[in-house]
Amino acid sequence: MIRTENLTKVYNGKPAVDGLDLEVGEGEIFGFLGPNGAGKSTTILMLTGMIEPTGGRCFVDGIEVANDPLNVKKTIGYLPEDVGFYGNMTGEQNLDYFARFYGMDAKARKERIAELLELVHLDGVTQKAGEYSRGMKQRLGLAQALINDPKVLFLDEPTANLDPEGVREYRELVEHLAGEGKTIFVSSHILSEVRVVCRTVGLLSKGKLAAQGTLEEVARALAPSDGDAVRIVVETREHLPAIDDPAVIDIERNGNRAVVRAKADIRDRLSASLFEQGLHVREMRLEEPEIEDVFMAAYRR
Amino acid sequence: MALDRLFNVARKEFSDHITSRRFVIILGLFLVISAIGMHSGIETYNTMLESYNLQLQHMQDLEGPYAGWMPEKPSIMLVFSSMMSYMTMLGGILAIAIGFDLVSKEKETRSLKSLLSHPVYRDEIINGKALGGVGALGFAMALALAIALAMLLLFSVVPTLEEFAAILVFGAVSLGFLLAYFAIALMMSTVAKESGNALIYTLVIFFTVSSLLPMFGMMAANAFAGDPPEPPQMPRMPQEVVRTSSSGGYFTTSVSQSVVHGGTEDPEWREYEEEMKTYIEKRKLINDISNLLSPQSNYQTIAIAVTQPQIFSMMQSPYDTTPEETTGLAGALGKVWMNIAALIVFPSAFFAAAYVKFMRMDIR
Repeated sequence: MIRTENLTKVYNGKPAVDGLDLEVGEGEIFGFLGPNGAGKSTTILMLTGMIEPTGGRCFVDGIEVANDPLNVKKTIGYLPEDVGFYGNMTGEQNLDYFARFYGMDAKARKERIAELLELVHLDGVTQKAGEYSRGMKQRLGLAQALINDPKVLFLDEPTANLDPEGVREYRELVEHLAGEGKTIFVSSHILSEVRVVCRTVGLLSKGKLAAQGTLEEVARALAPSDGDAVRIVVETREHLPAIDDPAVIDIERNGNRAVVRAKADIRDRLSASLFEQGLHVREMRLEEPEIEDVFMAAYRR
Repeated sequence: MALDRLFNVARKEFSDHITSRRFVIILGLFLVISAIGMHSGIETYNTMLESYNLQLQHMQDLEGPYAGWMPEKPSIMLVFSSMMSYMTMLGGILAIAIGFDLVSKEKETRSLKSLLSHPVYRDEIINGKALGGVGALGFAMALALAIALAMLLLFSVVPTLEEFAAILVFGAVSLGFLLAYFAIALMMSTVAKESGNALIYTLVIFFTVSSLLPMFGMMAANAFAGDPPEPPQMPRMPQEVVRTSSSGGYFTTSVSQSVVHGGTEDPEWREYEEEMKTYIEKRKLINDISNLLSPQSNYQTIAIAVTQPQIFSMMQSPYDTTPEETTGLAGALGKVWMNIAALIVFPSAFFAAAYVKFMRMDIR
């Protein structure tokens, strides 16, 4: 549904997005992760036809964006980061203004706007948009992104201004929209947020795609390489004796607990040995780096 | 560019303008002051009309050199002269007020990004904004002219067909003048990141072209034309020729402006006159060229040509003493075609600059 080929955007001689190759399938909820300044928003602006790439191409629903941005905009919905509205108009008037660009007649506009305002819990709000709180603006932003019932939804930092209740509602809404078969592209630098709603992720770092896949696949791909060595955490009730196994590389001991670095996964041999020595094993597991740590390390690279 | 999308933007902008407090206050002030000016103008017109009728009655009694003197019927266009002076100040402020934050405010509130995410081209947005602003200024101008016409009718002054046409031309020229400042404001709004800066830049240009430029024009005229020619060392001065239109009339008798000395024309005086005429024309040319860059000067020149053709003729050729033939509205406009062209080119250039800048604007 979304595809980029060597997508590049250069600002003042510096690449903000550098040869990006990305593919997001239909119906996916894709998390686009990366630290601030990694090029996430620039990528979205190119995918939504709001800026032209310096190089490469991008496609949404099979349409090359640079060639036909208007048709792409009819297919997509976009919630910008820190979304803004016309402060002298109500939420309903703002939505009506945007809806007119899709050639909807008055009746269709009225029905769609009422439906969306109810969806984002802004029905009955008569205030002008200029008096909205940031959370209310964010919710109105979601409504304007959905005004044309888009096939693809781009959400840039969607939870940035929401309170916990707003975040919960947003998650439910994304699930609901995904259930309708929409492709959702969520850009965020908050891993915990992406982790909850997204099924696949891509990590952007300095304008380049560092990894793409499920969260676990990406974490594995990004984890620091330790050759073929594995780390085994062992804890016994009694004092841990010396471990004599040819596969062991080194052992970090701490009383009844130890982290064994071995050439291979020797948990079966190790547990049998400890059992034979009459020891009670409390814990034995392979130590894997935390996903957060992996991403944080990738952010810092 | 699709017209429905263009009109959607224009409709919203027009609605925003005419409902904005800023627009309503300035327009209200402009209309009130114009109405007061119109009222006093109508009173002056009525007084001049009475004087004209009296002059007509006494025409037959005139003898001697004044026998051919013909009083001129006052035109109701005099009434609109007062509106011209308010237009150059309050009208200019109104045009700036609706244009200076048209784009910059959208950048500040980030509504531009939301707007651009929907299926609309950038040129449709900038053209729609311009169209909405032109519509709002046209609405303001139409309202001012409607009030002026209503006041004329209220005082039982019915314009002739030609006067009515002149009123419409005056309205169109005034709108052209307002568009000049609206275009500057729109351009600055596109260039500046903040509305405050856009307003300051616009005001700087406003005062530059309205005050500084005419001053520079005069200075340039002084510098390039040099010193005026010295009169010959002779006691007799050329006979002063008086033309007047303030009384609403002019002399149809031919009065020689050549100096007669000892029964023959004095060649030195004649030469001096020619030199003086050349000198004044040179100064005027430099000044006129400089003033073409000032919407105020162009507007005033055209408006005077439309509302007070006699005064305009005197301004154009102060040394020409031949009686002025009435050329009508078309003739008056023909004489100021360069000013009309300048008043069209000026806003067009700024609109073009705003268009190009908006099309290339970085919307990150």
